[in-house]
Amino acid sequence: MAMTDVKTKPVEDLGHKVDDAISVGEDLDFQERWWKFENIVWSIFAVLLVMDFLGVFGRGVLAKAQASTPDGALLVKYERIERTLTPSVMRIYFQPNAAQGGTYKLYVSSSVVQELGNQRIAPEPQISAVGDGGYVYTFPALGQPASVSLSLEPASPGIYHFTLRVPGGQSLERTIVVVP
Amino acid sequence: MATIIHCIAGYFFLLLTVRVLTRRPGAQMTLFEFVIVFLVGGVIILATVGHDRSVTNCTLAVITVGLLHRVVSGAKTKCPKLAAVIDGKPLVLLKNGVWQQEAMNGMRLAPEDVMASARTKGVAKFEQISYAVLERNGAISIIQKEEKDS
Repeated sequence: MAMTDVKTKPVEDLGHKVDDAISVGEDLDFQERWWKFENIVWSIFAVLLVMDFLGVFGRGVLAKAQASTPDGALLVKYERIERTLTPSVMRIYFQPNAAQGGTYKLYVSSSVVQELGNQRIAPEPQISAVGDGGYVYTFPALGQPASVSLSLEPASPGIYHFTLRVPGGQSLERTIVVVP
Repeated sequence: MATIIHCIAGYFFLLLTVRVLTRRPGAQMTLFEFVIVFLVGGVIILATVGHDRSVTNCTLAVITVGLLHRVVSGAKTKCPKLAAVIDGKPLVLLKNGVWQQEAMNGMRLAPEDVMASARTKGVAKFEQISYAVLERNGAISIIQKEEKDS
Protein backbone atom coordinates (compact mmCIF):
# COMPACT_ATOMS: atom_id res chain seq x y z
CA MET A 1 0.00 0.00 0.00
CA ALA A 2 2.80 2.33 0.92
CA MET A 3 4.51 1.64 -2.42
CA THR A 4 1.31 2.43 -4.27
CA ASP A 5 1.12 5.79 -2.50
CA VAL A 6 4.62 6.68 -3.61
CA LYS A 7 4.13 5.62 -7.21
CA THR A 8 0.72 7.05 -7.83
CA LYS A 9 -0.91 10.41 -7.48
CA PRO A 10 -4.56 11.31 -7.43
CA VAL A 11 -5.90 13.06 -10.52
CA GLU A 12 -6.09 16.78 -9.92
CA ASP A 13 -8.05 19.30 -11.87
CA LEU A 14 -5.77 21.74 -13.65
CA GLY A 15 -8.22 24.50 -12.81
CA HIS A 16 -9.22 27.48 -14.92
CA LYS A 17 -11.85 25.64 -16.89
CA VAL A 18 -13.20 27.61 -19.83
CA ASP A 19 -17.00 27.85 -19.80
CA ASP A 20 -16.83 24.98 -17.33
CA ALA A 21 -16.29 22.81 -20.39
CA ILE A 22 -12.60 22.37 -21.16
CA SER A 23 -9.64 22.32 -18.80
CA VAL A 24 -7.09 24.70 -20.21
CA GLY A 25 -5.21 26.07 -17.21
CA GLU A 26 -5.38 29.57 -18.63
CA ASP A 27 -4.26 32.39 -16.35
CA LEU A 28 -5.02 35.76 -17.88
CA ASP A 29 -3.68 37.70 -14.89
CA PHE A 30 -0.35 35.96 -15.26
CA GLN A 31 -0.43 36.52 -19.01
CA GLU A 32 -1.06 40.25 -18.63
CA ARG A 33 1.82 40.53 -16.17
CA TRP A 34 3.98 38.60 -18.60
CA TRP A 35 3.13 40.93 -21.51
CA LYS A 36 4.13 43.89 -19.33
CA PHE A 37 7.38 42.09 -18.49
CA GLU A 38 7.96 41.40 -22.22
CA ASN A 39 7.52 45.09 -23.00
CA ILE A 40 10.01 46.02 -20.28
CA VAL A 41 12.54 43.48 -21.58
CA TRP A 42 12.20 44.75 -25.15
CA SER A 43 12.58 48.34 -23.92
CA ILE A 44 15.78 47.34 -22.15
CA PHE A 45 16.99 45.54 -25.30
CA ALA A 46 16.28 48.70 -27.33
CA VAL A 47 18.22 50.86 -24.87
CA LEU A 48 21.12 48.38 -24.98
CA LEU A 49 21.18 48.59 -28.79
CA VAL A 50 21.24 52.39 -28.72
CA MET A 51 24.00 52.31 -26.11
CA ASP A 52 25.96 49.88 -28.26
CA PHE A 53 25.41 52.05 -31.33
CA LEU A 54 26.86 55.01 -29.43
CA GLY A 55 29.81 52.95 -28.26
CA VAL A 56 29.07 52.48 -24.57
CA PHE A 57 30.14 48.86 -24.99
CA GLY A 58 33.08 49.75 -27.24
CA ARG A 59 33.50 50.14 -30.97
CA GLY A 60 31.62 53.43 -31.21
CA VAL A 61 31.94 57.18 -30.97
CA LEU A 62 31.86 57.27 -27.16
CA ALA A 63 34.55 54.60 -26.94
CA LYS A 64 37.13 56.56 -28.92
CA ALA A 65 39.50 58.69 -26.93
CA GLN A 66 42.67 60.64 -27.35
CA ALA A 67 45.11 62.19 -24.90
CA SER A 68 48.52 63.80 -24.78
CA THR A 69 51.34 63.57 -22.32
CA PRO A 70 51.63 66.76 -20.19
CA ASP A 71 54.88 67.65 -21.96
CA GLY A 72 53.17 67.29 -25.32
CA ALA A 73 55.67 64.73 -26.62
CA LEU A 74 53.08 62.03 -27.34
CA LEU A 75 49.52 62.01 -28.59
CA VAL A 76 47.66 58.72 -28.23
CA LYS A 77 44.41 57.70 -29.88
CA TYR A 78 42.83 54.65 -28.31
CA GLU A 79 39.56 53.07 -27.32
CA ARG A 80 38.64 53.68 -23.69
CA ILE A 81 36.26 50.71 -23.86
CA GLU A 82 37.62 47.50 -25.34
CA ARG A 83 36.03 44.11 -25.84
CA THR A 84 37.54 40.84 -24.71
CA LEU A 85 39.40 38.98 -27.48
CA THR A 86 38.49 41.68 -29.98
CA PRO A 87 41.35 43.38 -31.85
CA SER A 88 41.78 47.15 -31.74
CA VAL A 89 44.56 49.61 -32.46
CA MET A 90 46.21 52.11 -30.16
CA ARG A 91 47.96 54.71 -32.30
CA ILE A 92 50.70 56.83 -30.77
CA TYR A 93 51.89 60.01 -32.51
CA PHE A 94 55.35 61.34 -31.74
CA GLN A 95 55.43 65.12 -31.60
CA PRO A 96 58.57 67.04 -32.73
CA ASN A 97 59.85 67.41 -29.15
CA ALA A 98 59.81 63.60 -28.74
CA ALA A 99 62.89 63.06 -30.92
CA GLN A 100 66.03 62.10 -29.04
CA GLY A 101 69.27 61.84 -31.03
CA GLY A 102 67.70 60.67 -34.27
CA THR A 103 65.37 58.23 -32.55
CA TYR A 104 61.93 58.16 -31.03
CA LYS A 105 61.74 56.31 -27.74
CA LEU A 106 58.51 55.12 -26.22
CA TYR A 107 57.90 53.72 -22.76
CA VAL A 108 54.75 51.61 -22.34
CA SER A 109 53.69 50.02 -19.06
CA SER A 110 53.62 46.23 -18.90
CA SER A 111 49.82 46.33 -18.72
CA VAL A 112 49.73 47.24 -22.41
CA VAL A 113 51.38 43.93 -23.26
CA GLN A 114 49.92 41.74 -20.52
CA GLU A 115 46.37 42.81 -19.68
CA LEU A 116 45.60 44.71 -22.88
CA GLY A 117 47.22 42.00 -25.01
CA ASN A 118 49.52 43.97 -27.29
CA GLN A 119 50.04 41.51 -30.15
CA ARG A 120 52.11 43.53 -32.59
CA ILE A 121 53.85 46.88 -33.00
CA ALA A 122 53.97 48.52 -36.40
CA PRO A 123 56.59 49.43 -37.38
CA GLU A 124 58.78 46.97 -35.52
CA PRO A 125 61.00 48.79 -32.99
CA GLN A 126 64.72 48.77 -33.68
CA ILE A 127 65.43 48.04 -30.02
CA SER A 128 63.18 46.70 -27.29
CA ALA A 129 64.24 47.02 -23.68
CA VAL A 130 62.49 45.71 -20.59
CA GLY A 131 62.42 47.11 -17.03
CA ASP A 132 60.90 49.79 -14.80
CA GLY A 133 57.53 48.05 -14.93
CA GLY A 134 57.28 48.21 -18.68
CA TYR A 135 59.06 48.29 -22.00
CA VAL A 136 61.03 50.90 -23.91
CA TYR A 137 60.85 50.72 -27.68
CA THR A 138 63.28 52.64 -29.87
CA PHE A 139 62.43 53.64 -33.44
CA PRO A 140 64.72 55.42 -35.94
CA ALA A 141 63.39 58.96 -36.49
CA LEU A 142 63.06 60.25 -40.04
CA GLY A 143 61.00 63.33 -39.29
CA GLN A 144 57.38 64.37 -38.90
CA PRO A 145 54.69 63.11 -38.88
CA ALA A 146 55.65 59.94 -36.99
CA SER A 147 53.39 57.38 -35.39
CA VAL A 148 53.38 53.76 -34.25
CA SER A 149 50.44 51.41 -33.94
CA LEU A 150 49.96 48.90 -31.16
CA SER A 151 47.54 46.07 -31.94
CA LEU A 152 45.62 45.19 -28.79
CA GLU A 153 43.52 42.15 -28.02
CA PRO A 154 42.62 41.91 -24.32
CA ALA A 155 42.35 38.34 -23.06
CA SER A 156 39.94 38.96 -20.21
CA PRO A 157 37.49 41.61 -19.00
CA GLY A 158 38.49 44.13 -16.36
CA ILE A 159 39.59 47.69 -15.70
CA TYR A 160 43.20 48.25 -16.68
CA HIS A 161 45.49 51.25 -16.36
CA PHE A 162 48.31 52.00 -18.76
CA THR A 163 51.14 54.49 -18.82
CA LEU A 164 52.94 56.03 -21.79
CA ARG A 165 55.82 58.45 -21.92
CA VAL A 166 58.97 59.38 -23.71
CA PRO A 167 61.75 58.20 -21.36
CA GLY A 168 62.76 61.16 -19.22
CA GLY A 169 59.52 62.98 -20.02
CA GLN A 170 56.17 63.27 -18.29
CA SER A 171 53.82 60.31 -18.12
CA LEU A 172 50.33 59.89 -19.44
CA GLU A 173 48.16 57.55 -17.40
CA ARG A 174 44.81 56.39 -18.61
CA THR A 175 42.30 53.64 -17.94
CA ILE A 176 40.74 51.19 -20.36
CA VAL A 177 37.63 49.20 -19.49
CA VAL A 178 37.50 45.80 -21.13
CA VAL A 179 33.95 44.46 -21.39
CA PRO A 180 33.22 40.72 -21.70
CA MET B 1 35.95 27.45 -16.73
CA ALA B 2 35.17 30.45 -18.96
CA THR B 3 33.27 28.22 -21.36
CA ILE B 4 31.05 26.92 -18.57
CA ILE B 5 30.28 30.46 -17.42
CA HIS B 6 29.60 31.52 -21.02
CA CYS B 7 27.33 28.49 -21.45
CA ILE B 8 25.30 29.31 -18.34
CA ALA B 9 24.99 32.98 -19.31
CA GLY B 10 24.20 32.09 -22.93
CA TYR B 11 21.59 29.51 -21.94
CA PHE B 12 19.63 31.87 -19.72
CA PHE B 13 19.98 34.82 -22.08
CA LEU B 14 18.76 32.69 -24.99
CA LEU B 15 15.93 31.37 -22.83
CA LEU B 16 14.88 34.93 -22.00
CA THR B 17 15.14 36.11 -25.61
CA VAL B 18 13.19 33.19 -27.06
CA ARG B 19 10.62 33.49 -24.29
CA VAL B 20 9.96 37.19 -24.89
CA LEU B 21 9.77 36.52 -28.63
CA THR B 22 6.37 35.00 -27.79
CA ARG B 23 5.58 31.37 -28.41
CA ARG B 24 5.59 31.12 -32.16
CA PRO B 25 9.23 30.08 -32.74
CA GLY B 26 8.34 26.67 -31.32
CA ALA B 27 5.60 24.71 -32.94
CA GLN B 28 4.53 27.03 -35.73
CA MET B 29 7.91 27.55 -37.27
CA THR B 30 7.79 29.34 -40.57
CA LEU B 31 10.76 30.21 -42.80
CA PHE B 32 10.64 33.67 -41.24
CA GLU B 33 11.15 32.17 -37.80
CA PHE B 34 13.86 29.78 -38.98
CA VAL B 35 15.98 32.89 -39.57
CA ILE B 36 15.77 33.82 -35.89
CA VAL B 37 16.53 30.34 -34.59
CA PHE B 38 19.57 29.76 -36.81
CA LEU B 39 20.97 33.27 -36.56
CA VAL B 40 20.60 33.54 -32.78
CA GLY B 41 21.97 30.01 -32.29
CA GLY B 42 24.93 30.71 -34.56
CA VAL B 43 25.79 33.97 -32.84
CA ILE B 44 25.58 32.58 -29.30
CA ILE B 45 27.88 29.66 -30.14
CA LEU B 46 30.65 32.10 -31.11
CA ALA B 47 30.66 33.65 -27.64
CA THR B 48 30.27 30.29 -25.93
CA VAL B 49 33.37 28.48 -27.19
CA GLY B 50 35.40 31.59 -28.08
CA HIS B 51 38.74 30.87 -29.65
CA ASP B 52 39.02 27.47 -28.00
CA ARG B 53 37.52 25.08 -30.52
CA SER B 54 39.09 21.97 -29.03
CA VAL B 55 37.08 18.78 -28.63
CA THR B 56 37.50 19.09 -24.85
CA ASN B 57 36.02 22.58 -24.75
CA CYS B 58 33.12 21.78 -27.08
CA THR B 59 32.35 18.56 -25.17
CA LEU B 60 32.27 20.47 -21.88
CA ALA B 61 30.00 23.09 -23.44
CA VAL B 62 27.56 20.41 -24.59
CA ILE B 63 27.62 18.76 -21.15
CA THR B 64 27.01 22.12 -19.46
CA VAL B 65 24.01 22.91 -21.65
CA GLY B 66 22.62 19.39 -21.16
CA LEU B 67 23.03 19.62 -17.40
CA LEU B 68 21.43 23.07 -17.29
CA HIS B 69 18.50 21.79 -19.28
CA ARG B 70 18.07 18.85 -16.91
CA VAL B 71 18.24 21.08 -13.83
CA VAL B 72 15.77 23.60 -15.25
CA SER B 73 13.40 20.80 -16.36
CA GLY B 74 13.52 19.30 -12.86
CA ALA B 75 12.91 22.68 -11.26
CA LYS B 76 9.92 23.26 -13.56
CA THR B 77 8.20 20.07 -12.44
CA LYS B 78 8.70 20.98 -8.78
CA CYS B 79 7.71 24.62 -9.10
CA PRO B 80 4.63 25.40 -11.22
CA LYS B 81 5.32 29.14 -11.02
CA LEU B 82 8.75 28.63 -12.58
CA ALA B 83 7.15 26.43 -15.25
CA ALA B 84 4.70 29.24 -16.03
CA VAL B 85 7.56 31.73 -16.38
CA ILE B 86 9.65 29.47 -18.60
CA ASP B 87 6.96 27.80 -20.70
CA GLY B 88 4.06 30.21 -20.32
CA LYS B 89 0.46 29.12 -19.89
CA PRO B 90 -2.16 28.06 -22.40
CA LEU B 91 -4.24 30.86 -23.76
CA VAL B 92 -7.74 30.71 -25.21
CA LEU B 93 -7.81 32.45 -28.59
CA LEU B 94 -11.33 31.61 -29.67
CA LYS B 95 -14.22 30.96 -27.32
CA ASN B 96 -17.62 29.85 -28.65
CA GLY B 97 -16.92 31.43 -32.01
CA VAL B 98 -15.71 34.73 -30.53
CA TRP B 99 -12.11 35.86 -30.96
CA GLN B 100 -10.38 36.75 -27.71
CA GLN B 101 -8.86 39.90 -29.10
CA GLU B 102 -6.62 40.69 -26.14
CA ALA B 103 -5.02 37.27 -26.36
CA MET B 104 -4.73 37.43 -30.16
CA ASN B 105 -3.11 40.86 -30.08
CA GLY B 106 -0.88 39.98 -27.14
CA MET B 107 0.45 36.91 -28.89
CA ARG B 108 0.63 38.74 -32.24
CA LEU B 109 -1.54 36.14 -33.89
CA ALA B 110 -3.88 36.59 -36.83
CA PRO B 111 -7.07 34.59 -37.46
CA GLU B 112 -5.23 33.05 -40.43
CA ASP B 113 -2.81 31.39 -37.99
CA VAL B 114 -5.68 29.74 -36.17
CA MET B 115 -7.34 28.66 -39.41
CA ALA B 116 -4.03 27.24 -40.67
CA SER B 117 -3.90 25.08 -37.57
CA ALA B 118 -7.55 24.15 -38.01
CA ARG B 119 -6.97 22.98 -41.57
CA THR B 120 -4.19 20.63 -40.44
CA LYS B 121 -6.82 18.97 -38.24
CA GLY B 122 -9.32 18.62 -41.07
CA VAL B 123 -11.47 21.56 -40.00
CA ALA B 124 -12.41 23.49 -43.11
CA LYS B 125 -14.69 26.21 -41.80
CA PHE B 126 -14.40 28.75 -39.04
CA GLU B 127 -17.96 27.93 -37.98
CA GLN B 128 -16.93 24.40 -37.03
CA ILE B 129 -14.54 25.63 -34.35
CA SER B 130 -15.74 25.89 -30.78
CA TYR B 131 -12.46 26.68 -29.03
CA ALA B 132 -8.94 27.47 -30.17
CA VAL B 133 -6.22 27.29 -27.54
CA LEU B 134 -2.63 28.43 -27.90
CA GLU B 135 -0.66 25.75 -26.07
CA ARG B 136 2.57 26.23 -24.13
CA ASN B 137 4.64 24.73 -26.94
CA GLY B 138 3.22 27.19 -29.47
CA ALA B 139 0.82 24.75 -31.12
CA ILE B 140 -2.81 25.79 -31.54
CA SER B 141 -5.34 23.20 -30.38
CA ILE B 142 -8.68 23.20 -32.12
CA ILE B 143 -11.79 21.89 -30.40
CA GLN B 144 -14.64 21.36 -32.81
CA LYS B 145 -18.28 22.01 -32.09
CA GLU B 146 -20.39 19.04 -31.15
CA GLU B 147 -22.14 17.32 -34.05
CA LYS B 148 -25.55 18.51 -32.87
CA ASP B 149 -24.34 22.13 -32.87
CA SER B 150 -23.04 22.10 -36.42
